Amino acid sequence: MPILSFEDVSKDYLTDGQPVHALKGLSLNVKRGEFVALVGRSGCGKSTLLNLAGAMDFPTTGKVLLDGVSTSSLKDNGLTQLRRERVGFIFQSFQLLHTLTVFENVELPLLLAGKHNPREAARERLAWVELEGLGDRHPHQLSGGQMQRVAVARALIHSPSLLLADEPTGNLDTTTGNVILELLRRLTREQNTATIVATHSLEAASLANTLVRLRDGKIEEITRR
Amino acid sequence: MPRFLLFYRLMVRPLFREPLRTLLTILAIALGVAVVLAIDLASDAATGSFRSSMETLAGENELEVVTSGGVPEYVVGTLATLAYSIRVSPRIEDYAVITDTKKSLPLMGLDLIAEGGAYAQSALQKTAESQTQSASEQVFNRLGDADGIWVGSSVGYRTSDRVELLINDRVRTYTVRGVYPDSNGNESAIVMDLAAAQHALGRYGRVDRILLKVPETPSLGDWQQRLRTVLPAGVEVRLRGTATNENRRMLAAFRWNLRLLSCISLIVGAFLIYNTISVSVVRRRPEIGIARSLGASRGVILSAFLGEAACLGLAGALIGLPLGRLMATGAVRLMAATVESLYVSSRPGIIELNGASVLLALAIGVGVAVASSYSPAREASQVSPVEAMARGRREYDVRVHQARDLWLALVLGLAAAAASRAPAVAGKPLLGYLAAILLVAASALAMPAFVDALTSVSSNLLGKVFGVEAMLASRTLRASLRRTSVLVGALSTAIAMMTAVGIMVGSFRQTVVLWMSDQLPADLYLRPAGFAAADRHPTISSGVAEEVAKLPGVAAVERLRAYEISYEDMPATLASADLNVRRSHRNSDFFSGRPSEQVLAELRDSNAVIVSEPFTYKHHLKAGDSLTLSLGATQASFRIADVYYDYSSERGSILMDRQTMLRFLPDPAPSNVAIYVSPDAPLEIVRAEIEKATAGHRVLLFSNRDLRAEAMRIFDRTFAITYALEAVAIIVAVMGIAGALLALVIDRRRELGLLRFLGAATWQVRKLILMEASLLGLLANLAGLALGFVLSLILIYVVNKQSFGWTIRFHWPVEILFGALAVVYGATVLAGLYPAQVAVRLNPIEVVHED
Repeated sequence: MPILSFEDVSKDYLTDGQPVHALKGLSLNVKRGEFVALVGRSGCGKSTLLNLAGAMDFPTTGKVLLDGVSTSSLKDNGLTQLRRERVGFIFQSFQLLHTLTVFENVELPLLLAGKHNPREAARERLAWVELEGLGDRHPHQLSGGQMQRVAVARALIHSPSLLLADEPTGNLDTTTGNVILELLRRLTREQNTATIVATHSLEAASLANTLVRLRDGKIEEITRR
Repeated sequence: MPRFLLFYRLMVRPLFREPLRTLLTILAIALGVAVVLAIDLASDAATGSFRSSMETLAGENELEVVTSGGVPEYVVGTLATLAYSIRVSPRIEDYAVITDTKKSLPLMGLDLIAEGGAYAQSALQKTAESQTQSASEQVFNRLGDADGIWVGSSVGYRTSDRVELLINDRVRTYTVRGVYPDSNGNESAIVMDLAAAQHALGRYGRVDRILLKVPETPSLGDWQQRLRTVLPAGVEVRLRGTATNENRRMLAAFRWNLRLLSCISLIVGAFLIYNTISVSVVRRRPEIGIARSLGASRGVILSAFLGEAACLGLAGALIGLPLGRLMATGAVRLMAATVESLYVSSRPGIIELNGASVLLALAIGVGVAVASSYSPAREASQVSPVEAMARGRREYDVRVHQARDLWLALVLGLAAAAASRAPAVAGKPLLGYLAAILLVAASALAMPAFVDALTSVSSNLLGKVFGVEAMLASRTLRASLRRTSVLVGALSTAIAMMTAVGIMVGSFRQTVVLWMSDQLPADLYLRPAGFAAADRHPTISSGVAEEVAKLPGVAAVERLRAYEISYEDMPATLASADLNVRRSHRNSDFFSGRPSEQVLAELRDSNAVIVSEPFTYKHHLKAGDSLTLSLGATQASFRIADVYYDYSSERGSILMDRQTMLRFLPDPAPSNVAIYVSPDAPLEIVRAEIEKATAGHRVLLFSNRDLRAEAMRIFDRTFAITYALEAVAIIVAVMGIAGALLALVIDRRRELGLLRFLGAATWQVRKLILMEASLLGLLANLAGLALGFVLSLILIYVVNKQSFGWTIRFHWPVEILFGALAVVYGATVLAGLYPAQVAVRLNPIEVVHED
């Protein structure tokens, strides 16, 4: 069974009173262990797709099924619960809280979910991203690549079934970006998560099992390798 | 013009993007301005009116002849028969209550035959018979009528109306013989013939004042010299209006303290302006960089931010003006009541919002805003363009100099300690105020270290106890140390002043309660129904006390007589009591610590007095010193046997034995009577007997409990205005917290959106903001309580002592204090509700992806 299904999904916005059709009748299935790269020009709908996949937003028409649960059938609390259990996010600009240490940043999703004693899990996730020993540092004491690793560790802290990354290498140099992408691919395989990466990077696209090319809110091409 | 356009586009227009926050800042300034203006206007109206009709109707007389207890009537004759061209106007001056309306009005007895032409003329104008010569004669014929009165038109009577007046403890019926014009109500009074007034008041053979109109040459000083030679020893000739000036001097400390208290809201407002401009500088840091790189000088940046503050200040002042006028209406009532019960007879005057008031409001609003924004504005002007465009706001936000500021705080604290030990300057506790201001400044400087230390120690603990939201809240506040410190500083200043004044008033109240248990030992108290004030001492007809003393069940009566006097150019109260009764019943508290029997025995029938603590403080006297009093036609010297604690009035009192006073001022009528009931007699039966015996007199009979309750009611009313001022300061601070939290939410919207991505529910975002508000409240309460305690010591032992001369025993009003702190804390948390709602409504997708 796919961990994520888009069934004829459309998403419309109103921007300055004008309707914008961000996604148009899009269908897609993603399975556990699959590493998907979303490519396309800016404004083609990549981020909208990620937001719908991550239960941050509802489709205007069609269905988004996350682990078999339709996001449209849930209210705010249900969506929050779904995100807490099933989804991990990674952002282009890392989005770490500078007031917290590395450990505390990684632990945050578990703490928000009311879980106690998350330190062991955080330590383990930091080991996955090869940042052992840096847990007590603050983000400003890390390099860009290290910060994105922390973000990856944070996204994995609650063992999500779906990892969503929006331009994860956009703020990194090529070498560091490749390291991060390799890390994501490895973790996808090892943890058997599904990972969707929205990217402009050719390297990311080349690493993906599945390449989804978007154009004007529609899937132009799906390439599976 | 282009500069103004740029200023509008870059500085003013952004203010409209956050209308609520801008409005809160403007309202904070408006409230600060309004309070200062209200107190200024109200104190002018309330304390200015003590000049009263007595002075307004005194005409163009330049000199007055006075003495304690009244000028012997023969002095009028002495002056009138001098070979000088002097107009001599003797006066009886007191108060009467119109029984229908319960309105208290000045009562003046004039020699109407000699100087009543004006009153008679006005009567002619108002009467229908005015056309006839016979009517005119009729009016003149009635000038000396014992039951005739003339009233101001604002009182609302017409000629021939019958009016019942309560004078001292008697009600008498009078006929209105004429009405004189009294357009603004400030001259309203009841005028009657001198002899009729003497009869009504029982002041036979003496007058209260003799007004003199002397020729222009020689000088008034020379006239005083000349006239002194013909006056008896105790009788003084002085410039008319001296009493007014004395009263003004006496009220100076009262007005000063209220004025300074009214500035608290302004100080709190200044903190908030500082914060608003700091936020503005932080937010516009990249814009500052761009403007600098495009050629804007440091001066332009500095003036732009000062200009922004000036705009906020101007808007605040414009709102504060009408608000202040409105508040003044309420304040004047409270202040007038206080002035009347503690200082001098007063009637609320007209509140005048004139050009000076408008200028004052504008100067306060704009001045405080510009002054408090100078530091962040200067910092903005120091920003290097490259740095501004390259670095985020975080680095800027945390740039505080904790160690340096702590040292400065220590230095200011030591300076405050030194200032608090200095004596009064020109009778005002200027250095005491300075000490308080230095302490507030020291506290503000120490605030970053305090907030940093507490949040760093507590964040993990808070996380464990209250959840991750509390930990995040604590970390966020610590990360925005500068902003947090200013907010905590603003609220803690308001709380500190509330705490300090609360402790001071609570201590004062407790001191008064303990003092009253010593000073009010009698079971019942009798006083005339006529209106009493600090300088009004209506009397009970002589003989009433003696009748009461004979009643079964009455063990003893103690007659107390009080006179309003002037001692060394300051008003004071001269009182006498039956010390033989007093000695056997009281356990008064004296400075010397000697038993009251011993001290009072020294006073019996001798030229020895005891004086109140405020009296010694005002006149720099102590036990063993001598003082000379003018009593009737004589002057006598008295030895101060001891000093007693007294909290009934700030005027200062001199107490002597009744027999001693009667030797100089032989009027036996007491001002009030303390009645001791025999231990075996039922109080209610004795009370009923006394009421029966005094039925022919308008007197009020209080039980000991009632009198204490009345005293405490007056006490609480006196301090009601200080509570009101505190409340406004707290409101300003809480509004500031709401505005600042709103700004914090807007500035941290990305972080809040991120939390939603990371699995935070909306309630958790709300809880986070409320926890921030709650932490701000908690930090401010802790800092405010500590600072308030120290400030209370300055208020009690320095400001109060140097202003009023009272010894107040320190007392923690625990319940009231912690109740008030809980209310403030609750209000702070509530102030977070709207910002929390704004945070919850943020669209996480939008805010996380915006850059």
